[in-house]
Amino acid sequence: MNDYDNPLLHKLKWAYLLLVVTTLMTPVLYVMYVSFNANGFGANAYVFTLEWYGLIFSDELLIGALRWTFMLAVVVTVIAVPMALLAAKYYKSANNKLFPVFLLLAPLFVPPDILGSALLVFFKNLNLTFVWLGDLLGTTIFDSWFRLSFLTATIGLIIYTIPYSFVVILITMGRYRPEQTEAARACGANGWRAFWDIEFPQIRAGVFSACSFTVILVFNEYTRTSLLKGGFDTFTTVLISQMLNTGMSPQSYAMSALVSFIAIAVIGSIILFTMLRADSLSRTARAKAEPVMS
Amino acid sequence: MTKGTPDMTSPRPPAVEVRNLSKHYGDFVALRDVNVTIGAGEYFVLLGPSGGGKTTLLRTIGGFHRPTSGEVLLNGQSVGHLPPDKRPTTMVFQAYALFPHMTVTQNVGYGLKVAGLRKDKIAEKVDYALEQVGLSQFTHRKPHELSGGQQQRVQLARAIVLDRDILLLDEPLAALDAQLRKDMCLELKHLQEQVGITFIHVTHNQEEAMTVADRIALIANGNLVECGNARDIYRAPDKTFTASFVGENNMLSGKIATANGTSAIVDVAGARLSVDTRGLHVQDGQPVNLSIRSECVAIDHADAAADAHSIKGAYTESVYLGLTTSHLVRLPDGTEMISRVISDTDDGLPEAGAPLRVTWKPSDIRLHVE
Repeated sequence: MNDYDNPLLHKLKWAYLLLVVTTLMTPVLYVMYVSFNANGFGANAYVFTLEWYGLIFSDELLIGALRWTFMLAVVVTVIAVPMALLAAKYYKSANNKLFPVFLLLAPLFVPPDILGSALLVFFKNLNLTFVWLGDLLGTTIFDSWFRLSFLTATIGLIIYTIPYSFVVILITMGRYRPEQTEAARACGANGWRAFWDIEFPQIRAGVFSACSFTVILVFNEYTRTSLLKGGFDTFTTVLISQMLNTGMSPQSYAMSALVSFIAIAVIGSIILFTMLRADSLSRTARAKAEPVMS
Repeated sequence: MTKGTPDMTSPRPPAVEVRNLSKHYGDFVALRDVNVTIGAGEYFVLLGPSGGGKTTLLRTIGGFHRPTSGEVLLNGQSVGHLPPDKRPTTMVFQAYALFPHMTVTQNVGYGLKVAGLRKDKIAEKVDYALEQVGLSQFTHRKPHELSGGQQQRVQLARAIVLDRDILLLDEPLAALDAQLRKDMCLELKHLQEQVGITFIHVTHNQEEAMTVADRIALIANGNLVECGNARDIYRAPDKTFTASFVGENNMLSGKIATANGTSAIVDVAGARLSVDTRGLHVQDGQPVNLSIRSECVAIDHADAAADAHSIKGAYTESVYLGLTTSHLVRLPDGTEMISRVISDTDDGLPEAGAPLRVTWKPSDIRLHVE
């Protein structure tokens, strides 16, 4: 707040911010609240328990779903983030930036069910083509390449997550001065070495944020995963199908709460670490900022 | 400007040879048919206005730009196909080129680390390089904890530690304040004499160029206009552009009235001026330019005897510049001439509009045909 701000208005702004955060977090907090209730969702009496958390690991359906989702998240992250990084590097050096940015961000503007359905039709047709090709060649080797599977879900999720990773990395890359890469080249480093030694350490925060973001997006994603994975066996699809068919089990609430706790802890740690580091750097800079002779 | 500039050779064995070099960006011509030879151990300056092509030439020598045509030879070897890291060059950039996540020691030692030297050898060479640039006490600082001058010295240390034959400097002092720039100029010159390698330095600042250069090449509009040692470029410019860009020259436009071999009479602003043709071929009626350095122009009374080395004008004003004072005189055709004198007094200055005569020695006026 500066000296000319209205104190009441200042408090109102904070109250508004708090209201927005509360609105966003209330459903998550409610799931957490239910996960500690021995009587489960909708019960009149609230009895605190950690029992459901203990039962998570005995629920094979949930653990299997978590495993599948975790694998999807890892594979999608390993592929999508480097692709986004390359795209961001190309974008930075491109003369005409409008066309590549349009291409890269286009998937963000297509509704998930339309993109998911389009990919579903595409993979179905591709699969038929490969089966036909196999029949033609007298082999069954191509029959399962593009059946709905982990691979098709991975491709769909890569298309979904790349634009987000691209934007996150590009923001960090904006501060990087390309002269430093040239200086590294002038020192004898080849292109890869210059990137790895000089550029990457400076954009690392963006790349790691993109990784975290991608993992969270994959965990959250329902439409594309349910259409492209085949079988409702990922974390979100299991939770939603349970909810639609039989209602969520108490373990599902516990699992949802656990995943939320982990996500909040990871993101909170990143923010805390960044703030502490910025504060420490600024204190060091101030301490060393005594007049220096040139 | 000349097209297809002559080869600007150096008396020393060549470290850099640029042959018929052109660089185009679509329709824009950044360099046009440039030829220049830079001797080993020479301090060579590329001087010219912004956007003239000097940085493009430097970066092409360093391997950061691929020429559209022509070739670059370093130590006699054609290097057109080699990236920057495979050339015997290294570079100091204008600014922002230190690695911010590394300390001074790590910055300076980076090239040696890439080259695979042992840690103790790296430490030894880094210490020596930092000592050469006077930064031994700042080894553990990060770049943002250094002043602008110190950052540029770290860049210098990072470059000279590699023991390359050719050091390219792209406006290395442009981001520094005037006093620091002067000090650093001398330091650069002394450092070059100490290490004995070829320095190629880009600047648009003529004082900086004069301070450090063994030879200067003037580059403008993609052409290498003129090349020579600093004194010749300043005192005896060949081309009109050189005269107008280097020093403070009075440029007069006129027409040849009579040409007779070694000298010519030129009509300028109603006066007939005599000028040495310097072996240039001129014809009667040909438009030409004349240049006279401002410090060679004197102001005389209006009734002083008219001759072929003076011209009438009207006093405009004086501008006090500290060490010198500039007197401005307007000629009958509207051209403004400057007479720069070392004087600390305003006594006896003519009134504005007062008629007078500006004069010079016959050897101080130069004829330019292009």
